[in-house]
Amino acid sequence: MTTFKVLGMTCSHCVGFVTEALEELPGVESVEIDLSTGTVALATDRPVEPAAIRAAVEAAGYEVER
Amino acid sequence: MLIFDGMSDLSAREFVADFFGSFTREVIAGGDAAAIVDRYYTPDIEQIADGVTLDRQRLIDHLRPVRKNLVSCSYDVHEAIRTGDRVAARFTIRAELRRGRTITTEVYLFGELAPDGRMRRTTQATRDVTVA
Repeated sequence: MTTFKVLGMTCSHCVGFVTEALEELPGVESVEIDLSTGTVALATDRPVEPAAIRAAVEAAGYEVER
Repeated sequence: MLIFDGMSDLSAREFVADFFGSFTREVIAGGDAAAIVDRYYTPDIEQIADGVTLDRQRLIDHLRPVRKNLVSCSYDVHEAIRTGDRVAARFTIRAELRRGRTITTEVYLFGELAPDGRMRRTTQATRDVTVA
């Protein structure tokens, strides 16, 4: 399980946008997001590069907390 | 946008559907985000949704990811009432995303309107009713 925080999500649609973007990444099996904390938990079947995660989140219009 | 003046024959349901539908269409169509927000919301807007508060700037900032991800959005207003400058409604939003996902959200809203019809304050509770 990979966990990280995403900044800028404010509603359930934001959650959907980020979920959809991360589900596109190869190896991602599920995406769970806690809107109240911005915490994202990724279940993957192989290692996923942090840079790929960051790029997917940014492409959706949000930012991964550094 | 239809103007709510408290005297109109326009029903509360029509007002709510038009307000949010028209706002979203303008957002998706592009144009200056601040100008769009200012047409629909007063400068002191306070939008609280599920405990998250958005002021004018955060609302404007929110439009950038909305534009990146949203293809279309429909509002089905199930019931609404209005009294003076107050409006309350229960409605369902169906949002179609760029990569094909559809998000369905039921919203329970209480709102306060300015005399010119712009929204001044909203408090919303939402729940995701998307069918997988």
